[in-house]
Parts: sequence; C-alpha cells; structure tokens
Amino acid sequence: MAAARRHRRVAASQPGFIPLKSDLDGKSLSIGRRKRVNKNKKKNWNKYSDINDVEEFLDDVRLQERATGGLIADKTDESLFFVDTGTKESVLEPASSEETGKKSKPLRIDLILQPTSNVAPPKDILAHQRPNAKKERRIAQKIQKLTDMGVLPRRKRPQKVPVKEKPIISKDPDRNFYDIWSAGSPETADPYYLEQTKKKLVKRPEKMNEKPSLLPAVEVIAPGGSYNPDFLSHQALLLEAHEVEVTKLKAETKLARKLAVNKKEFATQETTFKEQIEGLVEEGEEPENETEGPEAVADADEDEAVGPTAQQEKKTEKQRKREKDERIKELQKKAARQMIDSRQQLFKLRSIETELKKREQKTKMRQIKRKTQQEAQKTLPRRLGKLKFQAPDLDVQLSDELAGSLRTLKPEGSVLKDRFKSLQKRNLIEPRERAKFKRKHKLKYVEKRDFKEIK
Amino acid sequence: MGGLQKKKYESGSATNYISRNKARKKLCLSLADFRRLCILKGVYPHEPKHKKKVNKGSTAQRTFYLLKDIRFLLHEPIVGKFREYKIFVRKLRKAYGKAEWGGVERLRDNKPAYKLDHIVKERYPTFIDALRDVDDALSMCFLFSTFARTGKCHVQTIQLCRRLSVEWMNYIVTSRSLKKVFLSIKGIYYQAEVLGQTITWLVPYQFAHDHPTDVDYRVMATFTEFYTTLLGFVNFRLYQTLNLLYPPKLDVKGETELKAEFEEDYAMDSESYLEKLSALSASLARVVSSAEEEEAEMDYFPVEGEDMEKMEARVKAQHEQDKQKKLFEGLKFFLNREVPRESLAFILRCFGAQVSWDKSLCIGSTYDAEDETITHHIVDRPNMDKQYMNRYYIQPQWVFDSVNAKMLLPVEDYFLGVTLPPHLSPFVEEKEGDYVPPEKLKLLALQRGERPVEEDEEDDEEEEEEEDDDEEEEEDDDEEAEEEAKLKEMEEKKSQGKALPVKVTPGKVKSENRHRLEQEEKAEEKRLAIMMMKKRDKYLYDKIMFGKKRHVRETNKMVAKRKALDEASKADRKKKKQKKQ
Repeated sequence: MAAARRHRRVAASQPGFIPLKSDLDGKSLSIGRRKRVNKNKKKNWNKYSDINDVEEFLDDVRLQERATGGLIADKTDESLFFVDTGTKESVLEPASSEETGKKSKPLRIDLILQPTSNVAPPKDILAHQRPNAKKERRIAQKIQKLTDMGVLPRRKRPQKVPVKEKPIISKDPDRNFYDIWSAGSPETADPYYLEQTKKKLVKRPEKMNEKPSLLPAVEVIAPGGSYNPDFLSHQALLLEAHEVEVTKLKAETKLARKLAVNKKEFATQETTFKEQIEGLVEEGEEPENETEGPEAVADADEDEAVGPTAQQEKKTEKQRKREKDERIKELQKKAARQMIDSRQQLFKLRSIETELKKREQKTKMRQIKRKTQQEAQKTLPRRLGKLKFQAPDLDVQLSDELAGSLRTLKPEGSVLKDRFKSLQKRNLIEPRERAKFKRKHKLKYVEKRDFKEIK
Repeated sequence: MGGLQKKKYESGSATNYISRNKARKKLCLSLADFRRLCILKGVYPHEPKHKKKVNKGSTAQRTFYLLKDIRFLLHEPIVGKFREYKIFVRKLRKAYGKAEWGGVERLRDNKPAYKLDHIVKERYPTFIDALRDVDDALSMCFLFSTFARTGKCHVQTIQLCRRLSVEWMNYIVTSRSLKKVFLSIKGIYYQAEVLGQTITWLVPYQFAHDHPTDVDYRVMATFTEFYTTLLGFVNFRLYQTLNLLYPPKLDVKGETELKAEFEEDYAMDSESYLEKLSALSASLARVVSSAEEEEAEMDYFPVEGEDMEKMEARVKAQHEQDKQKKLFEGLKFFLNREVPRESLAFILRCFGAQVSWDKSLCIGSTYDAEDETITHHIVDRPNMDKQYMNRYYIQPQWVFDSVNAKMLLPVEDYFLGVTLPPHLSPFVEEKEGDYVPPEKLKLLALQRGERPVEEDEEDDEEEEEEEDDDEEEEEDDDEEAEEEAKLKEMEEKKSQGKALPVKVTPGKVKSENRHRLEQEEKAEEKRLAIMMMKKRDKYLYDKIMFGKKRHVRETNKMVAKRKALDEASKADRKKKKQKKQ
C-alpha cells in the first residue's frame, strides 16, 4: 500500500497531471515545494503520505453499507430499480391508511431509538463459545462411548460450582440421624499424629462420669399425691406438709420475736432529759476518778522498776552447780519411775487389753458412723454457691380440693419447677437468684404540659 | 531442717479446685456461655471438703469446679463455636445499625452452628449408658412438648420435643414395655422396662401450665438442647432393635385407614403426619415386613437343684410378663371426648387394645361410637343419654388400675357415676409388717385368683382377716415373751444347779404330729441361738426386735383408725338411708 501511495504521489508531482479534485489540487499547490523527509522512519511514512482518497473511498463504502446493507454495485438490478407503470388509483386506501396509520404509527421516541444503519450487528462470539468446549465435548464423547460399551465411570465428576450447604443445627427438627454407637472402623493412623492434629478428642476424666448425687432423676410423688388417694396415705402426706409449714412458721415467729421492739426501752421524757443534761450536773463523781487515776499509774511504775533489777543479778557458780545437780537428779528419778511403770504394766496386761479393745471398738464405731454420714451426704443437696438449696413446697391437695374424677382434676404445682428443683437437688446446677433489674439512672417525674392544662 | 519454707495455697486442695469466675476467664467465655458449656459437657460444680483452704483463707461462699474438668473443657471444639457466635452477633448488630440489609442477609446465611453428637458419644460411650440416663431427657422432652408456642422458648425446640416424645411413645407401644402408670396431682408417672432398664418419666397434664417465674428458662433450654440430641440417637437405636423404620412411618394398613376426609382442616400437610403418628391408633411400618411376631422361646439350660427352681421361677415370671403384655388384647375401646385422649390411647395401645375416638376430637380415629363391636366405652361424666347394651361404660381409672394390677379388674366398681375406689400408687412396695390399705389387700386377693364375694360380707371378712392378722402378730409377740420367760427360768435352774429335788413320775405317751414337732424344733433352735448370743449381739437383737414390735404396733394403730373411719362412714350411710326412707 505504501508503494501505491508513493506511486500516486510521484504521478501527481509530474507536470501535466491533472488532479480530480480541486481542493486537493489547491493543497498540493500550496505545499508547492516538496518537503524533504527522511523515509527511514515509520513515523514519517504516516505523517507525510496522503491517504485521503482511500479514506473517501472507504467512507463511501460505509455509507453504502449503512444505507442499503451492502455495496450498491453488488445489488441485483431488481432490488434497485422498478418499472414505473403509472400511479394506481385508489380511493379507499387513504382513509384506511389514515385509520391504520393512527393506530400503527410508532412513537417518535421509538423511531429515534431505531437503528439507523442497515448493517447487521456483529455477532457476539463469546455468547456462543464455551471455554474448553472442545475438550469437554471430547470427554463427554469418551464417557458416552465407555457407557455404551458397558464401562461405568469410576466416580461422578464433582460439580464445578460447589453448592453451599447449610450447617446442620442440632435444634433443626429435620436433620438426619445415624447410629452414634455403632462400632466404626478402628483408627489405624498413628495415635501421635491424631493427637497432634486434634483429630482425636481428649479423654474425658473418669471422675466426671460419676453422678454428683445418688438421687433418681425422677422422684415419684408419695402415694398420698394420687389424684384419688387412699385416705390414710393422703393424711400422711398432709401431715408431712403440715410439719414443714409448722417449722417455717416457727422460724418466722422466732425472727419476729427477736426483732420486736421492746416498749420498755422507748425513750420517755425523763430519759431524754437525762440524756440532754448528761455531763452537766453530776460533778461529784468525777474528782474521785481523778484521784484514783494517778495512784494507779504510780503502782504500775513501781512494778516496772522491780522487774529488770532482779533479772540483771548474776548467778553464782555454786548456784549453777546446784541447779545442774537438781536437774540430773530429776531426770534419773523420771527414768527410774518409767522403768518401774513399764515393769508394773506386766501385771496390768488384762486391763491394758480391755482398754485397747475399747479403743478399737470406738474407732470402728466412729468409722461406721462416718461412712453412714458420707452415704447420707451423697443424696443431700450440697452447698454449691452463695445460696442454699431450698426445697420446693410439697404438692398437696386438701381433702376438699381433691377431685372425684379425672375430668375435674386440677393439677397442683408446676412440672417445670419440679424439674428445675430436681436439677438443683441433684447438684447439677447451683441454686441462683434471678438477676435483678438495675436501673442505670433514676427515674425523673415530669408533669406533661397537656396534663397541666387539663388541671 | 533445711529446705525452703512451703508457701500457702500452692499445693493440695487449693490447686485442685478453681472458682467459677477464674474458670470462666480461663475459657474466655461469658458467664452465660460458660454455664451452657458446663451443662452440655456434664461438668458440675463441686463442694470442696476444706472450703477455707480452697478459697485461700476466705470464707466467702463461692462456686468451685475441679481444675481438671476445666482443663478438659479447654479442648472442646464447641468453645470456639461459642466465641464465633459472639462475634456473629456483634457483626449482625453492627450491620443492623448501619442498615446494611444485604450484609445482614449474608451474615444470617453464615450463622455459626454446632452439633452435640460428639458430646453424646463422649458422655455415653455405650448405648446402655445412654438408656440409663434417659429418664431426665424424657421428662424434659414431654414437658417442653406441652409448652405453648408463645416465645418462652424456640418453636423449633417445641416441635422437636414433640416429635421425639411421639417417637418414644410409639416405640413403647410397639415394644409393649410399659409397666406402671400413676395418676398424681402433678402429672402422670409412667414406668417402662426397655432392654432391661427401668425407665420412669413424668408427663404433665395437658394445658396445665402457668409459667413459674423463678425458673431459669435458659438453663432448662440448654438441658433440653442436649437431651433432644440424646433422645434422637436413643430413639433411632431403639427403632433399629425392633426393625422399625426411622423416622417412623405408619404401616400401609394404617395409612389407608387414617385417610380422613377433612385432613386439611385439622392440620397442615407438614404437620398432619406427625399428628397421625401422635394419635397412636395405627401400628408402625417395619423394615422387614414380618407377618407375625414370632414368640421368642426362652433359652433352656439343663440344670439341677437350686438352679432348677430358679429357672422355673424365671419361666413363670416370663409367662406372667407375656400375659401382662396382652392384657387388653381383643378388646375394643371407645374414648368419649372428655377423657384425656393421649394418655389413655397410649396405655391401651401398649397392651394391645384397639382404640378410637370421636372424629372431631382428633385425627386418626378408626371407628365410630356406633360400632357394635366396641366392648368398653370410657366415659368421665355422671351419666350418658344413649347407651348400648353390649358394652361396658366405665370410668378411665379402670384402665390405669388394671394396668397396675396386671389383670382386668372387675368393671362393677368403675361403672358410670359410681364413687371410684382410691387410685393406689404402684410405686410403693410394702415390706413385711407395713401397713397395707384394705383396697390393696383386696387387689392382692384378686390377683391370687380369689373371687370377691358380696360387698358387705367381704368387708366383714376383711376385717376379720385383719383381726386375725393382728391376733397372729400378737401371738408372735406372746410367744417370744414366753420364750424369754422360759429362758430365764432355765438359766435360773442352771444357776441353782443340782440342789433341786428330783422326782421321777410315770409318763404318758403323747400323740404328736410331725409338723408340730418340726416347728417346736425350729423354735428350740432359735431359742438356743438367742441364748448363745454374745452380750453385744444380744443388745442389737433386742433393739431390732423392739423396732419390729413398734412397727407392728403402729400398723395396728393405722388399721384401727381405718376401721373406725369405715364404721363412721357406714353409720353415716345408714343414717342417710334412713333419712331417705
């Protein structure tokens, strides 16, 4: 192409060559002198070569394509021309066309948005292509071939896009079940490896498997708690409940008694007056006290003075010797006494034996007692926190509350509370007080204006 | 003497325990989460023996845990999940605050969740361990399933509990393992024997809830969370042992029978199947459809002597059990609408009866009240307008009492409008010499196969019997007293020795029967044994005997009381009668 351009330029520069277009001609004339340009650079090729004619030609081609959808030269004659045989007379047509035109006339906005060119839009290749289509097709063909032959693929290809599974929640009623206690295949991997990679769970301490209380999980109510009880068992239950109530009442009255205000200790006019003038009137006693005070102090001083002087006196040599002798004598005496005693014990063998037996028996009894106490403690609620376990009220219906039939039965107490208390009683949870609601800021009372107005 | 001085509280019990707050901090959990974790893992607080030492000199009351337990908790994968959940909540709150709804949705989709399967396995290494501890789980599940869906706890939890409890009931029905029922003022106690384990559970009456305020619902919900998981696995395993399908399905016959017309009106499609299952009127489908349950013959081992006797006893017990299992077989019951449907249907089905109820009462009724083949109609109202000749109209207590008595009780005492006999607790087992209420004595007599006579006579007889018993007991007492007196005499004789004047007189031939002789011999032996006792043992023996006598005296007192009461009531009745006349 560059060569053609050069030729053209060379031809144009020849004298006697008449250019087709005047404006081009003028340009070339205005250039007049040819500028010398290095032609060993691509930049200059583009800059100083004239390609207007080509562009014009191409513009023309594009125009044709836009207008007609192809080159006019390629069109058939029939599509371009028609034989004019005169206008057809039509009377009805305009009216109908008007009618239809009114209806079928597209909106102007639609017309504007209509594509103006007749060139078909380029095909979106990517819409039809799939990456690795050929490879996948080949694989599919292969699998098809194999299945035709009777060979099934070893495993299904995992889906390219993993479907996100929702985690199974233990609360979900629709989760699936499996046998947790079925003997699975024994672990063959290295135990150390399993331990280090946290694949093996840590062993549970043995002590945790012991139940904290020996009480049964569900304690059956006494026979008196039947909805239609036997008379005596009902009475027995009532008595039990009554006793509980009596002890409670006793404790309450005791507390009330202790906290009661003694009316004798109320302040009377006399006592208040006494209190007011205390220290003002009674002066007679005070001087006596004052006289006693210094004497006591003096006594104390004397005592102090005696102590240290006595200690500071040194013992004489004689005294020391005597003391030592006395000490030795004492020791000897003691040893002799012991000898005699031990010898004497020979004759007391019997009494010693009985004493030993007694002691043994005592220890045995104590052991038994302690053991029974321990056993009893196992069924008792322990002190596990700030609060003590408080036994729930016994569920009892009075004789007139008892229903004659199942239909009229009125259940007593709450099973929920019973269960909760049972958990506490069996030391599974510590008894707790419900957290109290604490207000951060004090409430402020404001009279609203509306309210004021009404008043 | 050398060595460093030991510091206080650096060894011994002070290091074995850890206070709750410290444990919480060690695990980096909030108190609520810590409590939850402890419940799920089965870590319970301990009361140390030397509190002051453990508490480092302070006497404040604190909750302590064993340090080893807390160290064990550190390895728990769920702890991580708890922390994740905390972060999730924080993020969610932030997203809400910023009104980023897309973010909220994304967070919701990725909500951290945990499973408790490994904890179940860890706490109950074998199936039997789990079964032993299932009492609590059952009571809790039955309780939660009766809750109203009012937001006290998650609706999901309530549904799950309902499903699990229905599954359990269905299992008990199919395995026919129910043993005892007790209607108390609190709720209904059931006892069943499953795979050799005695399991007791408590079911509240329906619609009996007022929500108590002093119960920590969060704690209860946590327990339930664990127990539902446990019960799910237990149910699955139990269904497997009976070759039942899990999740439970009604068998084909039941499914076609239960096709009600107005099913849609009763329950939504999603719930109607569970409702049908909970109706308990149809049997369940099996994995292997066995035509009939083949009776498993007991293994027979050839043995001799004592073992033989034991064996026979066992065989006899087995027979009795089988008989009890088929207590209501062949009977056809109809429940009137005022009786507690679920518990009665459950119990009746447990012993092989056919049950139905009014169509409008509940889904799953199989026949109408007009059915001619109905044998028992259970009613709990004073009278009925329309009565059929060929069926018994009885009060519901008959069913419960019959189950506890292991036999079909005479229906006369339970007819419509009759004052019911007391409902005795089957959980009480009287020892020898205990006070036994006369109703129970009557029942025992019935069980022995004695026919009850006319009521008044029977009463008299009973009283006589009681009196006889008393006399016997008194006689026993007298005998013992006599024995002692004789012993004393003999001892005196011994001590006096040979000084006694001895005479020989011609004797008479005594006609003695062998039985009497044997008894005397035994008594003699006993007397000798008592005589040979050491002083210490003798003291103990006397004490025991005294206790027994006191016990007897007390029971006698009770009997006398009862007698007086009965007489008083009789007199009242007579007066009333006279008034009427």
